[in-house]
Amino acid sequence: MVNLAAKPILQVDAITMRFGGIVAIDNLSLDVKQGQILALMGPNGAGKTTTFHVIAGVHRPTSGRILFQGRDITNMRPDGRCTAGVARTFQITQPFEQLSVTENIMVGARPFHSSMADLRKASEVYAHKVGLGDKLDAPAKGLSTGQRKRLELARAMATRPKLLLMDEVTGGVDMKSIPGIIDLVKSLRDEGLTIVLIEHNMKVISELADEAVFMNRGARMVSGTPHEVATDPGVVELYLGEAKDGH
Amino acid sequence: MFKPLTQKSWAGIGAALALALVLPLITRDPYVMHVMVLVMIFAIFASAWNLVTGFGGLKTFGHHAFFGLGAYGSALLALNLGLSPWITLWLGGLIAAAAGLLIGTPILRIRSMPHVAIVTLGFAEIVRICIANFSGLTRGEMGLWGIPQFEGFTLPGIGKVTFSPADKVSFYYLALALLVLMMVVIVRLMRSKTGLAMLAMRDGEDAAESLGVNLTRMKLMVFGLSAFIVGVAGAFYAHYLLILTPASAVGVDLMISIIAMVLVGGLGTFAGPLVGALVLTVLIELMRDLENYRLLGYGLLIVLIVMFLPRGLVTLRERLFPRPQE
Repeated sequence: MVNLAAKPILQVDAITMRFGGIVAIDNLSLDVKQGQILALMGPNGAGKTTTFHVIAGVHRPTSGRILFQGRDITNMRPDGRCTAGVARTFQITQPFEQLSVTENIMVGARPFHSSMADLRKASEVYAHKVGLGDKLDAPAKGLSTGQRKRLELARAMATRPKLLLMDEVTGGVDMKSIPGIIDLVKSLRDEGLTIVLIEHNMKVISELADEAVFMNRGARMVSGTPHEVATDPGVVELYLGEAKDGH
Repeated sequence: MFKPLTQKSWAGIGAALALALVLPLITRDPYVMHVMVLVMIFAIFASAWNLVTGFGGLKTFGHHAFFGLGAYGSALLALNLGLSPWITLWLGGLIAAAAGLLIGTPILRIRSMPHVAIVTLGFAEIVRICIANFSGLTRGEMGLWGIPQFEGFTLPGIGKVTFSPADKVSFYYLALALLVLMMVVIVRLMRSKTGLAMLAMRDGEDAAESLGVNLTRMKLMVFGLSAFIVGVAGAFYAHYLLILTPASAVGVDLMISIIAMVLVGGLGTFAGPLVGALVLTVLIELMRDLENYRLLGYGLLIVLIVMFLPRGLVTLRERLFPRPQE
């Protein structure tokens, strides 16, 4: 399905991110190809979310570059990256609590509609897509974790991204809703969107990801197909080793 | 907030406006007119502070600096350059806006709201001390008097309109016109896509930024606009009272009253600052007979309202007649 010769849409070029004495990302490079779904895996504290922050522009890396569609965006601010076509969801959801579900999505879709009526109508379409069609006027404050995750997804989709960063979109979501999210991500991929996801659920990864990168201590440890990564002796040992410690 | 206004809200706006327009026909009592002019000046100030804090989420406690800069700026320009107050009114707003943008640039990069609060408060204190000490220009604590009055004009069909301390009705209508103008600006802004982006910024800066909201530009815009509106209110105040002192125009108690009005009325709502300005200004006047106990009663009232109606007086109806739950 994926053309492996395709040009990378995102290049993470030897990124190092230090916070004081802590090295959160250690010389990490990633190539994400157009139309691909790449999964970032790894234990807590491996640097996955920090990597997202660097790609989305929340943090400037200590060294290294971020190239998006061949353009150096390392010094671009988060809002500029959104306009350029990078969208994200947050691991800890950040809904605009006092706005309704539709209004939350309208924030993302702002640039594409001049009248408020059109903007509202277009945003409602995204709400229906993620299964929040019965909550259009509900304040975001009252949503469940799963609904918040889907709202973040709708909001990010509304910015019409070329690259979507999804941080644990199935985390805290009830098991019944997961197949729906998987189908949604697949349909986004089929529309040509490139997706990088941080995910712990192996079933979700193996269903969706073309490639998986396993991170540990801020660096790439193993990469390959999801199956290759999951059966890698080092990865198995890391998780079983953690299990022995009582985690 | 972003849906078209319902007939009910249009009716409410129309009724309030009609009432405000006919009030001078009911009573021309100078004392009532004076209190109402103050209500409207405070309502403009409170609405502008609510714009930054209630809608923009920037907790600034130094907006009295802009009131003072607008007041002194306009008064000094009219006094020293002989410009008409009709012009300096807007120049006062521009001076305040320029100061707002200048101080806003470093302040608004601060993400910690308590720090924004204390830095803006410090800025206002600096402005007050400067005005008090540049006595060659401002006459300092002795007070700036002899401020030019608004020139009268002739309105077709109504006759000659004059502005003098004896007749406060023309001031009443001028203040009302300014209030309506500023409210139209604020409401139109907040119901636009820019307003939507501003509310997003208030509810979550990181998320808003990730959805393409330029935080610095947004904060500067709302800070500058708010400072302008407060500056115009200050300028009007100067040419209404015709005397300014650092304490009356840039005193921190002015800022505290404004904050109380917005909290009592309803932070982050359009009507809240107006209701708060009306209720608190009128209440403190009604309690004049209590003399020394006046401020005690005033404080008690604020405590009670904030305790039992934490989202302000505008939620009173909901509280008394709750809508049936779905």
